Amino acid sequence: MKKPIILLIAFLLSCGVTFSQDRSLPNIEVKTLKGNSFNIQDLDNQGNPMVISFWATWCKPCKKELNAIAEVYDDWQDETGVKLIAISIDDTRSMSKVAPYVNSSDWEYDVYLDSNSDLKRAMGVSTVPHTFLINGEGKIVWNHKGYIDGDEEELYEQILSILVK
Amino acid sequence: MKTQALTILLIICSFKLAAQNSEIHGDFSLTLQSYVEDETINAAAADEVVLNNAFLNLIYSSNNFTVGLRYESYLNALLDYDSEFKGNGIPYRYATYSIDGLEITAGNFYEQFGSGLIFRSYEEKGLGIDNAMDGIRLKYRIGKGISLKSFIGKSRTFFTYADGILRGIDGEIDVNETFGLEKQTKYILGGSFISRYEQRSNPKFIIPQNVAAYAGRLNILNGGWNYYGEYAYKINDPINSLQESEMNYASGSAFTNSITYSQRGFGVTAEVHRADNMLLLSERDRTGKAYIMNYIPTLSKPHAYTLLAIYPCATQAMGELGVQLDLFYKFKKGTLLGGKYGTKINLNLSRINALEGGNSMLNDNIDHTPALLSFDEELYFSDINLEINKKVNKKVKYNAVFAHQKYNKDFLEGKTPGEYGTLSSTIGVIDLSYKIKKGHTIRIETQALFAKEIDSVSKKQEGDWIMALAEYTISPNWFFAIQDMYNYGNEDESKRLHYMNINFGFLKGATRFEIGYGKKREGIFCVGGICKVVPSSNGLNLSITSSF
Amino acid sequence: MKRSFCFIILIGFLNSCDVLEGPYMDDTVNPIDTSGNEYVKNILIEDFTAHRCSNCPNAAREIEAIHDVYGSRIISLAIHAGFQFAYPYPLDTTVNPDQKFTYDFRTSWGDEMDTEFGLSASGLPNGMINRIDWTENGGDHRKAFSQWASITADELNKEVQFGININSTVVSGDEIDITVNTEALTSLSGNYKLVVCLSENNIINWQTDGSYEDSDYVHKHVLRSLLTSTWGEDLSGTSINSGDSSNHTYSLDLSDLENNNIQNSLSMNLGNGDSGGWDANNLYVIAYVYDVSNYEILQVEEKSLLAK
Repeated sequence: MKKPIILLIAFLLSCGVTFSQDRSLPNIEVKTLKGNSFNIQDLDNQGNPMVISFWATWCKPCKKELNAIAEVYDDWQDETGVKLIAISIDDTRSMSKVAPYVNSSDWEYDVYLDSNSDLKRAMGVSTVPHTFLINGEGKIVWNHKGYIDGDEEELYEQILSILVK
Repeated sequence: MKTQALTILLIICSFKLAAQNSEIHGDFSLTLQSYVEDETINAAAADEVVLNNAFLNLIYSSNNFTVGLRYESYLNALLDYDSEFKGNGIPYRYATYSIDGLEITAGNFYEQFGSGLIFRSYEEKGLGIDNAMDGIRLKYRIGKGISLKSFIGKSRTFFTYADGILRGIDGEIDVNETFGLEKQTKYILGGSFISRYEQRSNPKFIIPQNVAAYAGRLNILNGGWNYYGEYAYKINDPINSLQESEMNYASGSAFTNSITYSQRGFGVTAEVHRADNMLLLSERDRTGKAYIMNYIPTLSKPHAYTLLAIYPCATQAMGELGVQLDLFYKFKKGTLLGGKYGTKINLNLSRINALEGGNSMLNDNIDHTPALLSFDEELYFSDINLEINKKVNKKVKYNAVFAHQKYNKDFLEGKTPGEYGTLSSTIGVIDLSYKIKKGHTIRIETQALFAKEIDSVSKKQEGDWIMALAEYTISPNWFFAIQDMYNYGNEDESKRLHYMNINFGFLKGATRFEIGYGKKREGIFCVGGICKVVPSSNGLNLSITSSF
Repeated sequence: MKRSFCFIILIGFLNSCDVLEGPYMDDTVNPIDTSGNEYVKNILIEDFTAHRCSNCPNAAREIEAIHDVYGSRIISLAIHAGFQFAYPYPLDTTVNPDQKFTYDFRTSWGDEMDTEFGLSASGLPNGMINRIDWTENGGDHRKAFSQWASITADELNKEVQFGININSTVVSGDEIDITVNTEALTSLSGNYKLVVCLSENNIINWQTDGSYEDSDYVHKHVLRSLLTSTWGEDLSGTSINSGDSSNHTYSLDLSDLENNNIQNSLSMNLGNGDSGGWDANNLYVIAYVYDVSNYEILQVEEKSLLAK
């Protein structure tokens, strides 16, 4: 079993594949809160940065992160034009709680439902929260796993750094 | 098979230089745990001393073409996973190609029809569930309103495939979009069909080789209202027994209904579901969660705090009736209860009980169909809880939860009636975080559970619990936590144990590294109503996850 | 247009279901006709069970149902194993006034087999049919009772490779001599071993059956003792030709065997020594030959110990 794996790694390296962070969004569909299908590649913020954050109603750090950002979201939008897209990986058990939770929390994010984790798998997310930063050209430039109180400041610095470029 | 997958990947890679927009990325996870013998908590040592689960996902995508695989390694698997997860391999590989709205997948794929009532192929790493399909799947979109999908394949169990050949087709139509209606009320209709073929013969009874299930669903949306209803029906699906009493030719049925209303600052959800003889297995005569092909989630709130989830409810796909109500409300800033920043509350009520006289049963001597809606039957689980979330000032935030649960331990854990009875627990949780300075936060959690049994029981009760946790985090990279769970109320004095744990972790970008040490209580860990038994353990655990 | 053809074909799936109507019992049962053969292939169903396992009587009833269809070709052995549901309750009447579940059905050999094959650890009831499908790292040899009927049907069709004859003579009182003779019916290469054990039928004692605690449950074919070691003794010769036979004799003393079990029970976790009271008239000798490379049992034979 070792031999094929070594072969694979060697070949990949020789292919000159760079494990760069410049990757595009996958061709996967999610659902809107209104029941429509939406292809993630259709996300567009007119050249401004976008943040994609994977969360679930049962994930405490995810809710903390999104609530913390909600407090400064207006300022962020005024200064950078950033748009936050919250992808809920709640499955049938808690999917019906997403809309009431989002509305009662007064979030202004675009919320999508990924109930069988198709987008989660395609983007290589294993645990939530997992947040991605997408630049004006639609490429993923930065991502971060987990949430510790205060992490939203690092996210903001990353957003500012891609505006400069 | 493995070499074929790798060869395909290598060939694709060599074309990469010519192709534009091609990328490779993936993610990795490793969990290592040591098991040391500890007689006090009944923890057994593992002969291997250290056990590990690991996987690596690789995805190569280029224009309309994607190839992926996952390498999994269990040398040997952690004790909370089925022992059949043994060895290494590439149990998951696929190629997907889309053209003009038709998407073709060959190899492994995950799929869900509707809410999963008749079919859901998914993975839940925490439970050790992965029933990925291996076969062909087609997805097609007609205009903006109609979508169709169809597949044929076998379902994965551990490193092999179950015998049953599954075939399915699902269609969904967005009525407004398709017929160009400009109404405010939106209607979405869907239907699915699944059939399983398994070669079987029985010398005593006539046995079907093709078993089919149908489902229909309706979603109505209007402003802040959302109604979702799905009904599923399965035809005769008996096991291959020679005992008449075990042969059940009754059809199975299940339905789920939910109504949601939400607006700014307020949301309410009401749900009801019923399942009767609705377990769809990929190989009929097997037992175990690796063979379950449909998903009927338990109608109770998924709790994040330990003592609230210490007695979790497992879904009874063979027969249960459940109801749940959720209320979300935000008291505005400046009001009495809102305080300076506003207060959020979530009230949740759920109740699950048995079907009248048990599930549907049909054979030459018995013909039983339980009543449709009877809330008067044996209680399996009930939960009333209130969660309050409040920011006190710039430095202090808290979460408080109060709950009252009833848990029918005898039934839900397969014990003899009268052994443990039904536990009635009152639980309180306070989770307070204090920001010491920029980036440094300390969080303290205290939980208490007061239990008493209903009905006289023959076994000594576990009794009351208390738990405390302190976590110190330094943004953006570090966290450190220490916790203790103490079963001070156990009727058996020798079982009044402390379960202490310390955890330390480092996060940078997409890499997470965590190391922990301590005792874990033997328990049941459930996700969505499917449960695994976690044996008690004492040892070190290490986990590394990363994505690139 | 082309795309819609794909779906038209797939819609054909919609016809793939078998809807059955009663009566469901099919009386045209045809057990394999073996009247012409001297030796027939028999099946050993090892049923790992425990007296407080509420679902276990369903497995025992399944064996009875299989036996009803296929007759004497089905030989069963009930092995009480695993700690949680098999340990006996104390004999002390102050702690256990109704004297429920005091019997200790466990044996040292049963536990050794349970550990090797990982049965009780995977949940009870659990079993093996001629120990087929065993692999080094796998669990396929463990069969849930709902699989037993179909697996037995397939096994019965296999070619018979050994013949076994059992004879017992009472020397005096509790002393009995047993001879087991094996005969190879085809040429075989490989390593084969013989295991001989004693089982007792119709032990009446406590058993949890669903939600009911039955004080008069009839336990069938319970493993009592092994006359060989757990993993048996070699058949003479390394390669076997058709017609080769092997003779094995055992002299046993029933009171010694009974006492051995009592001592073993006392040495076990929560054992209370209540493993005696054997009824010699209900004892059976079971002998089986198995392939050492994969544990598969190639032939099994059962004979009453005392019946003429």
